[in-house]
Amino acid sequence: MTGPAIKVEGLSYSYGATKALDEVAFSVAPGEILGFLGPNGAGKSTTIKLLTGQLAKQSGEATVLGVPIERDNSEIQAQIGVCFEEKNLYPNMSALENLDFFASLFGIADPDSMGMLRRVGLAERAKERVQGFSKGMRQRVMISRALINRPKVLFLDEPTAGLDPVSAAEIRKMIKEEATRGAAVLLTTHDMHEADELSDKVAFINEGRIVALDTPQDLKLRFGKRAVRVRLRDGDGVREESYPLDGEGSSADIAALLASPELMTIHTEEATLEAIFIELTGRGLKA
Amino acid sequence: MSLRRIAKLLRKDFALGPRSMPFMYMIILPIILTIVFQFAFGDLFAPKPRLGIVDAGDSAVTRAIAAMDGIELTRPEDAQVLRELVEANDLDVGFVLPADFDEMVRAGEQPSLDFWISGESLASNRVILAVTALDSIRGIEERPPPVDVRVVSFGEEGLPIGVRLIPVIVFYALVISGVFVPSSSLVEEKEAGTLSAVLVTPVTLSEILVSKWIFGVTLATVMSGMTLLLNGALGPQPLEVMVVLLVGAMLVSTIGLLVAVIAKDATMMFAIIKGAGILLFAPAIFYIFPEWPQWIAKLFPLYWVIEPIWQVSIMGGSISGVWMELGVALAIAAGLMVVTLVLAKRLRASLTGSQVR
Repeated sequence: MTGPAIKVEGLSYSYGATKALDEVAFSVAPGEILGFLGPNGAGKSTTIKLLTGQLAKQSGEATVLGVPIERDNSEIQAQIGVCFEEKNLYPNMSALENLDFFASLFGIADPDSMGMLRRVGLAERAKERVQGFSKGMRQRVMISRALINRPKVLFLDEPTAGLDPVSAAEIRKMIKEEATRGAAVLLTTHDMHEADELSDKVAFINEGRIVALDTPQDLKLRFGKRAVRVRLRDGDGVREESYPLDGEGSSADIAALLASPELMTIHTEEATLEAIFIELTGRGLKA
Repeated sequence: MSLRRIAKLLRKDFALGPRSMPFMYMIILPIILTIVFQFAFGDLFAPKPRLGIVDAGDSAVTRAIAAMDGIELTRPEDAQVLRELVEANDLDVGFVLPADFDEMVRAGEQPSLDFWISGESLASNRVILAVTALDSIRGIEERPPPVDVRVVSFGEEGLPIGVRLIPVIVFYALVISGVFVPSSSLVEEKEAGTLSAVLVTPVTLSEILVSKWIFGVTLATVMSGMTLLLNGALGPQPLEVMVVLLVGAMLVSTIGLLVAVIAKDATMMFAIIKGAGILLFAPAIFYIFPEWPQWIAKLFPLYWVIEPIWQVSIMGGSISGVWMELGVALAIAAGLMVVTLVLAKRLRASLTGSQVR
């Protein structure tokens, strides 16, 4: 298909009197990863639920693979993969049975479930019941399940939440591979490092509204404060100072600093996504 | 609605069934109840008294006993074999009739007859066999008995308690399989979140509900049929009995689906089943106490299931005699199904959760 894999315009949703989404708009192209960054309750999961047909649309427009969203839309659901934050596998089934069962629901006659488990390093435990798996192992099965139908659009809700660094790194690698394959990925997270590492674009969402949407680099350039941090000799001791790279007189200050015999080390400082989020919304990502 | 997807869901439920406690409980409990009731009240499987006769001639005693259904008669080759069988408790009682036994009795010679009794035989079997043998011998005399015994029954004529308990056990199998299994299966999926996971595939909620309903109907039909079979109460027309059970299973499974749609979690499901338990089981109690006003039983929905089962299986009636009851049962099932489908919309909303964002 040509055009965006996900296209959302003016999407709003309310739970009773509480507005969860307010005129949200964004798009995700095939092969692109969009990081949805926001604190708990910001509207990330509601967006995924609307786009995957778990919630019925109230107002606004949205298409997935060119098909307008509506609840239980089999045409969309056949081509998407969803990884929930909740570890909702069948605990009394083995990892292999879980994948085979979900593959059968997509009408896949001969699924490569074992290959998928091999990819996440679980081939040797494929026939063990999931109820005995660790959180990280379950999450790897969840990712495998989301990929069992080779989806064109992948919805990942906090895919690395609570995982150890090794498991999280493995899952990030798989997400990148899926995007390289051509899948559009909508990734919700409140982990700024993950969003920074994986995302081609990042959307900051707060209280149901997207407050910024751009590439991580452009967000940092637009909203971050660049600076250099220097260490200088001070008699027998050492002192640290920070000099902004932007603003009047900054070039002259830095030139003088470089000529100074007291200069010991110099490092550039880059704004973090979290700092930008706090600056834009006045609240932290984990709030 | 895709039949292929319903079949896949159903296959998964049957595969997972033996791995879950409610399923095993449902299979085992009616069998345990059957065994307990049979032990307490006796049944068709209780062993018949076993008698061995070595008959050198062609005695009328042997012919009379051979014609009796209630006694298991064995004809060993000779006295030595008979004795070995009694000693080994393969027979309760044995005796040897000489070739001219009948003639000696008729001639008033009072021939002696040794009763060999197995030391391990039940006292009740010994008495039954002794009395039966003496009655048969008296029959040879062709003289009026010395005492004219008249049988006078007191109390109301009725079925033994063992038979009247059968509806309770069958009903239990039907309700546990039809209500408890599909409802706990769906509620477990809600709680584990697997229902949400399945609903983001091409599977629809309607397909899931239909698969759970078929799951309940199949189990309830098979389990109640098996319970009747274990109790020797499938009746003279087992096919008709199975049709009646199928209709009953359709009603109880619809109730199970309704419970599953209403209950948010297992605690609530158990509360509903416990609360509604008396309404579900009440009709079965009226079969234990036939002296109670039977019209009250008709006020309960499942009367329209248990009455056809009683009539066609235990009383040996025909399905044509209970078509009205079956019609009422199907009508109640259809009404409850409509309510279930309306409430399923609420289930869909509860799965996505109004609090989760």
